[in-house]
Amino acid sequence: MSYSLIIAETRKGEFQEGNFDPLYLSDIVGLPSYILLPEGEYGILRGSCDKVIVAPLKEGEFLNPLNIIRLLERTFQAFGEPSAILLPHCSFGIDVAPYVAGRLGWPIITDISGFCRGEEGEIFIKTLYSEKINGHFRLKEGMRFVGTVRKGVFPKVAEVVKETLFEEAPSIEKDPRRDFIEYIEEEIEDVDITKADLLVSVGRGVKEKGNIPLFEELAALLGGVLSCSRPVADRAWLPKARQVGTSGKTVRPKVYFALGISGAFQHIAGMKDSDVIIAVNKDPSAPIFQYAHYGVVEDMHRLAQKMIENLRDQK
Amino acid sequence: MEVVVLAKWVPTTQEEELKIIDEGRSVDLEEVPFRMNEWDTYAIEEAVRIVKEHGGVGWVISMGSEDADTALRRGIAMGLERGVLLETEEDLIDPFQRAFIFKNLLQKKGIKFDLLLTGGQAEDDEFASTGGVLAGLLEVPYASMVIGIEEISGGEITLLRELEGGLMERVKMALPAVVSIQTGINEPRYVSVTGVLSAAKKERDFLSAADFMEGAKGLLQLIRVEIPPPKEGAEIIGGDLDGKVSGILNILKEKGVYK
Ligand SMILES: Cc1cc2nc3c(=O)[nH]c(=O)nc-3n(C[C@H](O)[C@H](O)[C@H](O)COP(=O)(O)OP(=O)(O)OC[C@H]3O[C@@H](n4cnc5c(N)ncnc54)[C@H](O)[C@@H]3O)c2cc1C
Ligand SMILES: Nc1ncnc2c1ncn2[C@@H]1O[C@H](COP(=O)(O)O)[C@@H](O)[C@H]1O
Repeated sequence: MSYSLIIAETRKGEFQEGNFDPLYLSDIVGLPSYILLPEGEYGILRGSCDKVIVAPLKEGEFLNPLNIIRLLERTFQAFGEPSAILLPHCSFGIDVAPYVAGRLGWPIITDISGFCRGEEGEIFIKTLYSEKINGHFRLKEGMRFVGTVRKGVFPKVAEVVKETLFEEAPSIEKDPRRDFIEYIEEEIEDVDITKADLLVSVGRGVKEKGNIPLFEELAALLGGVLSCSRPVADRAWLPKARQVGTSGKTVRPKVYFALGISGAFQHIAGMKDSDVIIAVNKDPSAPIFQYAHYGVVEDMHRLAQKMIENLRDQK
Repeated sequence: MEVVVLAKWVPTTQEEELKIIDEGRSVDLEEVPFRMNEWDTYAIEEAVRIVKEHGGVGWVISMGSEDADTALRRGIAMGLERGVLLETEEDLIDPFQRAFIFKNLLQKKGIKFDLLLTGGQAEDDEFASTGGVLAGLLEVPYASMVIGIEEISGGEITLLRELEGGLMERVKMALPAVVSIQTGINEPRYVSVTGVLSAAKKERDFLSAADFMEGAKGLLQLIRVEIPPPKEGAEIIGGDLDGKVSGILNILKEKGVYK
């Protein structure tokens, strides 16, 4: 019987939570699951998958598409060819999955956030157009593909308890054409947005740098801290340390007050555990309204002006 | 240095309410404005800087309808020299197929590169895959989500890849290579509308994608599109502007973050 091969991410030796979504998707599809990992101890996986295959590679050598493809060739020889190669949709998954697909000549679907089975066969769901649309994708030539899976979308299939075998992957000669050198941490920051009770957070809707002071004033009058989405930090309108999201900070304030942010999952992942989320957007179909507790359909500049006036009056 | 950039002309749907047409098979983009994919603007800027420092030729290649010529003109206005448009009216959504067409183009036209840059992802389909598949098909090294190019010398490139939560990794690769660029890597230069218009004088190659389809099978089929089924969703605070303001302030007071 065929199986799905999950290529898992570790960072600094830590098994990443995002690996569970490809594992659960594999259970939902109904394939035995083998997990391929770099050197390390993975007792926590006992019972959750059919095989744990540990590669004789250090993390820095393993998290490298050029070495992974060599490892896959040897793994296929040892364990047979899988029908799905699944990875978490993260910095590792998007580095490795497309390269592997190109080398193997297999189709690729990234950022899978849903699966269903019906008359039309097996359907994988992926968001399109900044999460405003769900695309239903079908593999033309049946189940043989490379996929990356969005974090936190697939539930554990409760009844699955497996007898996990631990195996070692065959050794490979490393590809000399790409080398990991070192990890680098982000430099020192200005304010620590993870400590604030109230974050006033602006997105691309702020439109230009000249509008930042208005929202700075609003945050100050409310006694909160100003944070932002990625495009605002990319343009250096606010320091990178203020960016909320997967590639920025994960925050959990009492109130997250988002203005002009559309609600991409990379942003949502960084703020979804806030006690209360209030979103202001001029577009009533903005995906952020799906995640917010309170929504206001309004021009953020007009609203901020008015709030500032009211707050000044009260002082 | 020969530096090739793939640049996509994409619909700007972030502020649009989208409609589904064609019996659930496609999204109505008739009224939606298009622009250069955000990620590709950063890739072009990076290419322009590399060519300036190391000499050589910078290329911009786009695949799409004839409107995608604007992507070439923007790339040229920003400082690249050569432009190639692969024209097609088909909506080629499968990234494997697109990468295969690009591979055929490069090989058939003898376009050799030291470095091929793509955007980290396209805003419309967000596959983040085209460059990686192409690298795999060409069997050249690949690195994605690159947030810094530190050095290019002796046939090698040293770069920083962005990971999660502020972590980065430094990686060294042999050239030729394919690299996908993350936003924020640089500050893309501003080009005026007249700059883009006058770039139209520059010679560009207009080719038909259909001539580069050999072996480029679509392996993935988009059979349906839908508006995502609503989750719990937000309680909407309506009313006039004053009502909205006091509604928000009340929540802030209730939560004790504003007194
Ligand atoms: C690997 C990777 C990592 C990433 N990491 C992060 C991350 O850490 N954090 C992050 O935020 N993003 C991240 N992104 C980017 C993410 O995918 C989105 O592109 C980004 O979050 C969009 O930011 P935005 O919502 O501000 O802009 P847009 O998506 O452009 O949305 C702007 C919103 O503002 C609204 N608007 C416009 N004008 C007004 C107005 N006058 N009044 C009210 N509303 C208005 C619009 O309707 C729209 O909804 C990452 C992407 C990748 C590929
Ligand atoms: N039709 C296209 N024309 C030009 N470049 C493209 C095209 N499709 C994808 N790309 C390139 O590949 C990158 C990733 O696209 P995607 O894999 O679709 O997310 C984009 O940022 C572009 O650099």
